[in-house]
Amino acid sequence: MKDYSKELKITEVYKEYKDAHPAIKEAMCLKAEYPAYFTPLQDGDLFAGRLQQGRVGFTIDEWGPTAFAYYCQFEEIENDLKTYDYPAEEKVKIEEMLKFWETEDTSNKIRKEYPPLMAQYLFSDDWMNTSGIAFPLYRLTGSTPNFKKLLDIGIPGIYKEIEELKATAEEDRRDVKFYEGMKIAIDVLADVCLYYEKEIRLLAEISTIDEKKEELNKIADTLHIITISKPRTLREAIQLFWIYTYAADIRNYGRMDIYMGDFLVNDLNAGIIDEDEALKYLKSLWQLMADRNTVVHNRVIIGGKSRPNEANADRFALLAMEATRTVKEIEPQLSLRFYEGMNPALFEKALDVIGGGATYPILYNDDININSINNAFGFSIKEAERYFTPYGCGEFILEGRSFGTPSGVINLLKALEVTLRNGVDPVTGKVIGLQLGNFEDFHSFDDLMNAYKKQVEFFVSLLAEQEVLEYKICGEEAPFLYNSLLYDDCMAKGKGMFAGGIKYLGGTLETYGNTNTADSLTAIKELIYERKLISKKELLDVLDNNFAGYENIQLKLANAPKYGNNNEIADSMLERVHNHVCNFVRNQAERVGLHSYLVVIINNSANTLMGRSTHASADGRKAFEHMNNGNAPSGGNDKEGVTAMLNSIVKPSTAIHAGSVQNMKFSPELFFERRDIIKSLLKTYFDKGGSQAMITVLNRGDLENALVEPEKYRNLFVRVGGFSARFVELSTEVQKDILSRTLY
Amino acid sequence: MNDSGIIVDIQRFSIHDGPGIRTTVFLKGCPLNCKWCHNPEAIAYKPQLSFNQEKCLNCFACLSVCPTSTHYIKDNKHEINFSLCQLSGDCVPACPNEALSITGKINSVEQVIELILKDKDFYINSGGGVTISGGEPMTQFQFTKQILKACKDNSIHTTLDTCGHAPSEKYLEILPLVDLFLYDYKESDYDKHKEYTGVYNDLIQKNFNMLYGASAKIILRCPIVPGINDTDRHFEAICDLYKEYPKLVGIEIMPYHNIGLDKARKIGAEEKFISIDTTDKEKSRKWISTLHELGCTNIRLG
Repeated sequence: MKDYSKELKITEVYKEYKDAHPAIKEAMCLKAEYPAYFTPLQDGDLFAGRLQQGRVGFTIDEWGPTAFAYYCQFEEIENDLKTYDYPAEEKVKIEEMLKFWETEDTSNKIRKEYPPLMAQYLFSDDWMNTSGIAFPLYRLTGSTPNFKKLLDIGIPGIYKEIEELKATAEEDRRDVKFYEGMKIAIDVLADVCLYYEKEIRLLAEISTIDEKKEELNKIADTLHIITISKPRTLREAIQLFWIYTYAADIRNYGRMDIYMGDFLVNDLNAGIIDEDEALKYLKSLWQLMADRNTVVHNRVIIGGKSRPNEANADRFALLAMEATRTVKEIEPQLSLRFYEGMNPALFEKALDVIGGGATYPILYNDDININSINNAFGFSIKEAERYFTPYGCGEFILEGRSFGTPSGVINLLKALEVTLRNGVDPVTGKVIGLQLGNFEDFHSFDDLMNAYKKQVEFFVSLLAEQEVLEYKICGEEAPFLYNSLLYDDCMAKGKGMFAGGIKYLGGTLETYGNTNTADSLTAIKELIYERKLISKKELLDVLDNNFAGYENIQLKLANAPKYGNNNEIADSMLERVHNHVCNFVRNQAERVGLHSYLVVIINNSANTLMGRSTHASADGRKAFEHMNNGNAPSGGNDKEGVTAMLNSIVKPSTAIHAGSVQNMKFSPELFFERRDIIKSLLKTYFDKGGSQAMITVLNRGDLENALVEPEKYRNLFVRVGGFSARFVELSTEVQKDILSRTLY
Repeated sequence: MNDSGIIVDIQRFSIHDGPGIRTTVFLKGCPLNCKWCHNPEAIAYKPQLSFNQEKCLNCFACLSVCPTSTHYIKDNKHEINFSLCQLSGDCVPACPNEALSITGKINSVEQVIELILKDKDFYINSGGGVTISGGEPMTQFQFTKQILKACKDNSIHTTLDTCGHAPSEKYLEILPLVDLFLYDYKESDYDKHKEYTGVYNDLIQKNFNMLYGASAKIILRCPIVPGINDTDRHFEAICDLYKEYPKLVGIEIMPYHNIGLDKARKIGAEEKFISIDTTDKEKSRKWISTLHELGCTNIRLG
């Protein structure tokens, strides 16, 4: 039975401080949460810091689709009440708690503030299970503060800074509550360290193994030291860093080689530890990250331009990649930034690690990205050089300086299918979009295109306004102390990051189905408007029937030009769709008052989940099947080989959005036996403007899947005797043959 | 017709026919009829109907559109009389499952070059380029020459994959346009060469000597077919060549695989070719070590 004592206590504290200054309210809630939510050290941990978040609490990120800031997980709690037989008295308390949070939960507060039009068209928060064009997201994710500052001055240094700023504020007769709250929060952080110290000393006492006892005491010593001194060693630095990330609920870790590199090299030079010991630390840290099990977070970036002590950072970066190679977990999402002229050993090591079966590090091309960020965000080149890419999506942000949570999703393919049916969603039969006319009324392709654009623009405008509303309410609710502490210019201003404190407050919007939309428009333009092979009515019939009985037309649609084949017709349509949505989104920033508002074209399961509520599309995609992933060609439609695919995917501009994801898959044969080829492929891709690459080296399992679902593996190349072939085009017999041979 | 030719396929990101990342152009037409041919659809000089039985739904939509009686029904199954086909191509779009296609398309030099140029950056970064293969590219001599010339005009590395059976003067004419020859060496015995490939090897050897003498860069490619030419005698002959022609860029052993059979079936030519199992890795490794033992060191699996 789930114990609710902690949640009830936090609720009590919240009630008590409900009308207090937001900084004090937040600080007192943090004090109620921590160390209560922290959990014991596990066997093998070299650093303290594990946590079991409660059903009620405070976070800058999210604990469920609408659980963020002051949150309550209503559904889970209601389930617990149904599942377990709580004593009557406790049950009443829990029910009262639920009722209390109905109006206090931050997401609920935001939704209550929706103006009528926003409430009408952004009608659901459940984007995973609802058919719709656009949905809001409730979270402030991707926070990546200035870790370097934390480690440079440590808890005592921060405490001193707060005192000094508070004194100045007092002199200026400014609000000092922000600093008072900050002080309480820092005390809580130190308390967490001391709590763990005490617990671990007890463990050490009862341990019968000398070695273990010694190790535990070392951990306890470290925890003690960081409360009274700034970190002096790598071990102390990692420990402070790790406790802090959990307390602040920061799940992405910035440019770690910059802020850890000097600690590493100093320790090595001073003979405090050797490389083996350092690797042990990193492996333990990596395991702690993996166990955090964030699915989409846990980003660590290494490499790239503007690292102050590059040689030290390189040394750390190599060790980090070795940790990834040996820990073999799906997190952290290690990423390598690189540029022409960087120590080549890093890129070489990266390929070794990827080839070893990890899909990490993810590769980021500084020579393209810095200019793109400069253009898209308007950051100076010097600032852009500081970029970091949190979570799976990788929206560019500046560590400790900018913020851009994705707070909306738009399904472009749904926008198109609704536009083809005068605002009606073919899945639910309801009017969910603007009614801009019937397909028959769009006499030219441009008529259709304009209607589609209008539809998209309407929803983008709503989402931009929603993002601002979300920030506004979050700013009123709380200063997000631990984050504001390390975000320019919150401390100097004495303001929370969403209450006017942060230097650059931006936003992002996730777009899905980009490629399917473009390919559908290509097919419609070619087959209906230009070659007149299919009528408009026929197309709608075909799609409504999910192609059943219309296989011939499906084939025609499937054979229309597709993005990803270096085909000018298809690629330029993708660019048209891309430029439209990216530029329109980007132009919202000024209107709604954000520093930037940009599209991200990303990689997660949303393409699949939203595909489930999207009907058959004119590109030949069947109803409810997944949509394309990131900026990738859809469903193995890249039939012309990897060079053609790469030539296509570098076409959409990277200088008008906040990041896009490129998944690539290579066969082990190619990756292992022809490293020279892989290197020149990647070099050419990056030279031509490739921003990013996530590389998978396919194993036997993938080949087996290719047998079952060949349509998804059209771009899988295998070596057959004296030549290469597309695996799925070989006869079943041959495929099986190859499959058996890859076993060797 | 000089400005255009018949192409079976153009393979981009080709990494096994010459160095680096390449685009390989497979031309139609070959004067040889090797029993183990792995591109049987490239032997005939003209386009051909191709039928993928595995994909056929037996809907017989093709029957009604065919101007001849190429398609017919036997035991409720779709069968094809390839000899009757006059290449109207009408059956191809009629098939709802893409079981039918025409192998061999007429392409202009410009079309081919346009495609080739798309990957030029990849060639430069990988030390790759363009390979003309087939079939036998020398059978479409003017077309091949013009593609090679256009490649050279664009500073693209060129490779010619040839069986060596073409007029000597043609080789001399094309030599300045070819950076690397992939030159087949199929069988050392004079009569057996005729038996296995349909032609004697004297012209092939003559051309080889001539090109070698003219300092052409050559990789010798030796298809090894179990039970046919995996003999000590042939391996020794390969080694003799290796010693006799020290300036060869390399020798590649091409172990037999039976992919060609699948393609032969599609054009109704299955019975013309041998049907044996694809060579396993162990066997091909053994061949390599045999050749090593015989003193042939610069050799690898192609």
